Amino acid sequence: MSATILLILIGGFSLIGWMVAKAKAQKLNTRRGALHSLPGHHAWYVALWILVPALIGVIGWNAVSPGLIHSAVMADPAAATLPAMDMERNAILSEAFNLARDPEAPVFNPEAQKLVQPIRAANAKFGAIGAAIAILLGFAGGGFAYTRITAGFPARTRVERVVQLVLLVASLLAILTTVGIIASLLYETGLFFRSVSPVAFLFGLHWSPTNGSFGAIPLFWGTIFIGAIIAMIVAIPLGLMSAIYLTQYATARVRRWMKPLLELLAGIPTVVYGYFAALTVAPMIRDFATFIRIHNPSTESALAAGLIMGIMIIPFVSSMADDSIAAVPQAMRDGSLAMGATTSETIKKVLIPAALPGIVAGVMLAISRAIGETMIVVMAAGAAANLSANPFASMTTVTFQIVQLLTGDQEFDSPKTLSAFALGLVLFVVTLALNIIALRVVKRFREAYE
Amino acid sequence: MSKAAIDWQSPEANKRLAGRYAAERRFKALGLAAILVSMAFLAFLLVSMLSQGIGGIDLAFLTGSDSTEASTAGVWGAVKGSLLTMIVTVLLALPMGVLAAVYLEEFAPKNRWVDLVEVSINNLAAVPSIIFGLLGLAVFINFFHLPRSSPMVGGMTLALMTMPVIVIAGRNAIKAVPPSIRDAALAVGASKVQTVFHHVLPLALPGILTGAIIGMARALGETAPLLMIGMRAFVSTPPGGFTDPSSVLPMQIFLWSDEVDRAFVQNTSAAIIVLLVFLLAMNGIAIYLRNKFETRW
Repeated sequence: MSATILLILIGGFSLIGWMVAKAKAQKLNTRRGALHSLPGHHAWYVALWILVPALIGVIGWNAVSPGLIHSAVMADPAAATLPAMDMERNAILSEAFNLARDPEAPVFNPEAQKLVQPIRAANAKFGAIGAAIAILLGFAGGGFAYTRITAGFPARTRVERVVQLVLLVASLLAILTTVGIIASLLYETGLFFRSVSPVAFLFGLHWSPTNGSFGAIPLFWGTIFIGAIIAMIVAIPLGLMSAIYLTQYATARVRRWMKPLLELLAGIPTVVYGYFAALTVAPMIRDFATFIRIHNPSTESALAAGLIMGIMIIPFVSSMADDSIAAVPQAMRDGSLAMGATTSETIKKVLIPAALPGIVAGVMLAISRAIGETMIVVMAAGAAANLSANPFASMTTVTFQIVQLLTGDQEFDSPKTLSAFALGLVLFVVTLALNIIALRVVKRFREAYE
Repeated sequence: MSKAAIDWQSPEANKRLAGRYAAERRFKALGLAAILVSMAFLAFLLVSMLSQGIGGIDLAFLTGSDSTEASTAGVWGAVKGSLLTMIVTVLLALPMGVLAAVYLEEFAPKNRWVDLVEVSINNLAAVPSIIFGLLGLAVFINFFHLPRSSPMVGGMTLALMTMPVIVIAGRNAIKAVPPSIRDAALAVGASKVQTVFHHVLPLALPGILTGAIIGMARALGETAPLLMIGMRAFVSTPPGGFTDPSSVLPMQIFLWSDEVDRAFVQNTSAAIIVLLVFLLAMNGIAIYLRNKFETRW
């Protein structure tokens, strides 16, 4: 019996239980207030008592049945001829299991063919046992719950306890994701550091994974140069001035139109920016470099990637600056204007100094977004790990190298692929630190004015 | 500064004032220029994509699949891959995100444990997308051995990325429902769960959906995490199901942009137009929902 049919069957039984229970509860509902809980609650109580035990049965059986199937197949006379060597035997077995699942799977060992029949038989036998166990558990649970339907039974409380449990589990998924990220990055990085020392990785000056040298400093420099220097030189003035204009000068009507348009910049997928940077901006920058007599400029320049990244970040900086300027108390602004300062003087001497912590936090968040940005640098920045401050040079970043190392053909245990996880860990830690600091600054800044 | 009254009519004072007003005008012009530069860039980008790509959009392009020949390559395979991926994402991220938001906003006790959940959700929303790709590769593919390049794994990875966005939007929407609604429901004998599911959640739904659609739009345009889980296969037939190898629309753009053949430039731009139309439609729906159902209490 296939898993889908079993699940549909369990669902159907739950539905029947739901209806039967509702009918019984309605019969008990002879006058207003006779029942403690609504018939619907009793119905859900029974349905849950069928569903949950049955699903537990399915999951539990799935955990134990592969072992049972395996030993059943090994006990079959067809398995007696298998080689005693563990590796060979396992290879044949896994091939046979694939073959049993999908008759068109590739076959390398003819022995696998003979095992298909016993595997199918074992699968069918243990599948049927599992289904029977699950359905039996469902019936037992449903029967037990059905007998408990009485006028005074608090079904609502019981059902709601389950609902709250489900809510709790959903919120724990967030922690699970965080733990999953940290655990998987740490684990793979640990494997990587078995073959390459952390010091050589973090402080080495030479990056060339194919030759086994994993000094990541050029990558860190490229990331900082593109994401935190060039991009910010573009994004901070443009974003800040846009925010100032929109909040302090623009009329309500202009603001209503301009703000969504500006925000559109953040909604464009990064792959589009990357394509634009590589196809349109990079050649323009190369021509410009030739024009100002820079010898042999590269098509893939740090400047092209950084510029486009900066433009992508503008709405981000702008909305953070907007928020922090809006958080400055109106009284401070009014006081400055009342003293005779012009609007621009008020902005420069009062609003920006007062909003500075918030703006700085916003810039930190923007940097953390820029250094984690992948597609723009993959398409426009280049693969050469250069340690230079020349914006026209090709430069590579952490994210570019992660993509480079993990796409295409690869064996999973080589230091080359594992180093991608080490780079990922560094990226994760840095962005996390930037975020935590920035959020703390913003929080303290808000409290100061409240 | 002397105590003597300043002569506001003196030439020096007038000159000084004029200088200050000029500075004011310059500053204002600078602000306007900053916005106009950003807008001009946006316009330049859109116009150049349109002019390069609009000629490539025809029925054959919209219904065809990837091909090595630029003239016969189409975008439908990638669109279908994106569609399947988004179905998985929305089925996982929306219920999980909404339930988590309900728990944190309505049921969570104030303790360390819940603080930890909150902090991790806020941080997940800011983790670079490529990290989610690494997680998907390490956990879904290398640990659980789910099929590589499939919409299922892609959708699960993007769901993990989208869930924090939905949780944050959902919490704000739930917070905006006034306590009087809850009090009224509780006063006539509803339980906490009934109050939330019968009254608070329906009222918060437009806000939640707006946030969810915006999160989905972001997931639809995402490329980097899918690159990690191998959704860059050359797929010449549209995927038939959730476990078939598949490509997605942004990935198709990336793959075509890598082609040496100049003829693919038109295809790439045309695919970008298709993607932008999808995103614009999603954002339009979100804005419409927000304007139509937004209640001011």
